[in-house]
Amino acid sequence: METMVTKVIQIILSPVLALVVGVFFLGLARKIMARIHWRYGPPLIQPVIDMIRLFYQKSVSHGRMFDLGIVLSLAGSTVAVLFLPFGKICPLSSSGGLLVILYIMLLAPLGLALSGGQGANPNISIGISRKLILSLGYEVPLLLILLAVMTHYKTISIMEVVSSQQSTSWSIISFPLFLSGLSYFLILPAILGIRPFDMSSAPQEISSGPMTEYGGKYLALATIEHAFVLFISIALFVNLFLGGAANPVIFFVKMLVVFVPGLCINAVFPRFRIEQAIKYLWKWPTLLALLGLIVTLAVRS
Amino acid sequence: MSLEILLITAFGGALLTYFLGKISGKVRDSLAVGISLVLVTFVANLYGKSPEKTFYFGFFGLGLVLRLNMLSWFFAIAISSLGALCTIFSLSYMKGRERTDFYYLMMLLVNASMLGIVLTGDLVSFYIFWEIMSWSTFLLISYNRGHALAAGMKYIVMSIVGSIAMLIGMLSLYKTYGTLNILEISTVITSASSGYILFILIIFGIAFGIKNAVMPLHTWLPDSYAEAPSPFTAVLSGMLTRMGVYGFLILLYVIVGLRNVITPRLLSYHYILAWLGAVTIVIPTFIAMLQNDAKKLLAWHGIGQGGYMILGIAFGTSLGVAGGIFHTLNHAIYITLLFMSVGAVQYRTGGERDLNSLGGLIKKMPIAFIGGLLGIAGLMGVPLTNGFVSKWLIYKTLILQGSPFLAFAALIGTWGTILSVYKFLHNMFLGQLPEKYENVKPAPFSMQLPIIILSATILLFGILPGIPLKVINSIGTSFGFESLNVTLWGIASETGALNTVNIFAAVLVAVALVWLVFRSTAKSVPVAQEDSYAAGAHTPVDKYHYTAEFYNPLYKMISPFLRDVIDEFYYWIASCIQRLAGIIRRIYSGDVGNYVMYIIIFLAFLIFVQLKWKPW
Repeated sequence: METMVTKVIQIILSPVLALVVGVFFLGLARKIMARIHWRYGPPLIQPVIDMIRLFYQKSVSHGRMFDLGIVLSLAGSTVAVLFLPFGKICPLSSSGGLLVILYIMLLAPLGLALSGGQGANPNISIGISRKLILSLGYEVPLLLILLAVMTHYKTISIMEVVSSQQSTSWSIISFPLFLSGLSYFLILPAILGIRPFDMSSAPQEISSGPMTEYGGKYLALATIEHAFVLFISIALFVNLFLGGAANPVIFFVKMLVVFVPGLCINAVFPRFRIEQAIKYLWKWPTLLALLGLIVTLAVRS
Repeated sequence: MSLEILLITAFGGALLTYFLGKISGKVRDSLAVGISLVLVTFVANLYGKSPEKTFYFGFFGLGLVLRLNMLSWFFAIAISSLGALCTIFSLSYMKGRERTDFYYLMMLLVNASMLGIVLTGDLVSFYIFWEIMSWSTFLLISYNRGHALAAGMKYIVMSIVGSIAMLIGMLSLYKTYGTLNILEISTVITSASSGYILFILIIFGIAFGIKNAVMPLHTWLPDSYAEAPSPFTAVLSGMLTRMGVYGFLILLYVIVGLRNVITPRLLSYHYILAWLGAVTIVIPTFIAMLQNDAKKLLAWHGIGQGGYMILGIAFGTSLGVAGGIFHTLNHAIYITLLFMSVGAVQYRTGGERDLNSLGGLIKKMPIAFIGGLLGIAGLMGVPLTNGFVSKWLIYKTLILQGSPFLAFAALIGTWGTILSVYKFLHNMFLGQLPEKYENVKPAPFSMQLPIIILSATILLFGILPGIPLKVINSIGTSFGFESLNVTLWGIASETGALNTVNIFAAVLVAVALVWLVFRSTAKSVPVAQEDSYAAGAHTPVDKYHYTAEFYNPLYKMISPFLRDVIDEFYYWIASCIQRLAGIIRRIYSGDVGNYVMYIIIFLAFLIFVQLKWKPW
């Protein structure tokens, strides 16, 4: 009975924590960016203020799929959070492991793509097309990285990956896996969709791509969705390569350490074109990840 | 209910349908549906039974053996149910077309022969049913004439090559062991040398590889799928092509047997087959991205998904084989659904299947859209659809057995799939509705019903995969694999369990919560499709929709690597043979003088031989 109660509390707690952390990161991002640009920047809670305002504003709808898509997308991200250990909190740890996380992470972009598709606007379609190409671009190294991790620890459970690291050492500083870790770090901006990889939402070219037709609550939900994506991609890195954490506070600090360098890159780099991005992603990160997997396999046998 | 009555009903029903069609179209339609539904109940009733019966026809003393076991029941129920759904779908699709009697005859004949294939226990009748299937398929592929004739020709030529390979293998087995009963062969083959077993594996592997379109034997498939009438494409892609998988299962785990699999010398065959499966996943999936024809796009995925089945089966672990068999069923369900969805759109838009000229049909054909959406979700393997579970089984065994590169091929295939199937759905159903389709009506009920049933099945097997997995598990144990710990909602094991019900509950609650937030905040105003953002400029009415060259930047990068060289190679061989035949044909000049000259030259040659060596 007691385990039931803690489980229920965890299930409620982990998306809320993820949301708080994600929204905090959004605010922090604007602040740090502003300081790098020698501006003062908005207050940290500006994203929250914006969201509340957006929820009360008028919006347009292009049809049933337009509504359902964004709902599905956000729900998908919420479920993905339940599979990720946040410190010791991981409510659905034993329901399928890393492979399920990989696939649940699909729901978010898919939902946005379906929703945007019904928007019937070329800007949206171009944005989605770029987003899908980009995701194919970073999935190649990402899958190689995840396979190296799973092969090294001989498990598909993310909890076991975390606990093995806590009993030995972090993957990022252990012998064969540091290659994979480095590769993950190189593709992280692409996963997060920040510059130089923000071509799918490029506001100056295609008026924010998939979000073109969004207004009011759609935009608010899309912002929440963005916060979740930030959380998921960074938390995955922390869990796989930085040894997870024993409690949420340390976990949060580790996430911050990963996120801030990414922001600095975002602040100073111009945007890639999509084919330049693919060329980058399929060159050094893929080679590193491939090397990591080969070495891991060789060491294992 | 005995098996021979089942087959007699199937074949007799097909012929009866044809002749009744000459009298009345209505009677024919209802009989065709009736027969296929009767077959489903027949097969369903046979669950768990294992009758076996031998008939002697005095053909070299070889018996025609009919038998049922878990494996054949599994395939039989899939064949008969999908066949019934496709027949129902045909009702409106074929209405008012020419040669409808012939179409139904062939459709039912294909189903009957597939049932025959899975129910026989000896290779002679296997071969006979196999040939009936190949030829009736050929006639149906070329049903539409025009391009379809060439596609059918390509199919039948490759099919004959496969049949000949199978015939050689059978003759060799008969010569060596004096029997063609599958069970008897499996007991005597244990004493065979490894070289002979390898020969048998390769020769039958060619036959089944062609049917299952394993690279490099895949080239018949895209054209045939695209040109066949859509309801038949559904049968062709769903079960008929997968007779190759059934063949591989019989070959690898019944005839040759599991005990030969684990020995290292044969591991190489399995390993190579697994790699062929991996190649078959990756390349066709990426080629599919370049297609602009809805049916061709799906056809390339048909090849690619076949790779998953081969990969799982060839890998030869209990999880892998279970995943491979399960994927065969899942693929049959969602690809049938997808071809039906395309068929419904074709039916209402005058046969249009060019992805660049459709669009916005979601508002006009919602059921077809739902079918398409769940179909592509299954094809991608989104959690809570059936495709996810079978792929999960395959990935898991590949990773845990230390074959990450095979796993990589399988995983990257999935991500390639996402790109092309999104384009498929987007270009057909989403985006702007062209003016000419303003008055399109939803598909008729006889098309919607199979679409709804199949969509529900995709979710059912995705949320409660234990239903089919129980049967698959007993197939696995009959092959000699250790039993899996199957529960109704997945697989329990120490090294990572799967619990689909947990995922389902989580998704359900999350969707409900977000929907609640969505509904309780400020309302949105529905607007017309023209009312969209164009930076202040006027929005064009007809085509303000980006579809053509959807992944253009990616095309430019990868298309040079994706030429179908193998197809070109086969065409080169075909043209060489054609040229050779052209030269030989000149012998028949039609001039009597020439023929007299041939006779005289031949006689002179004989006389020369006699004078020189005196052999006679």
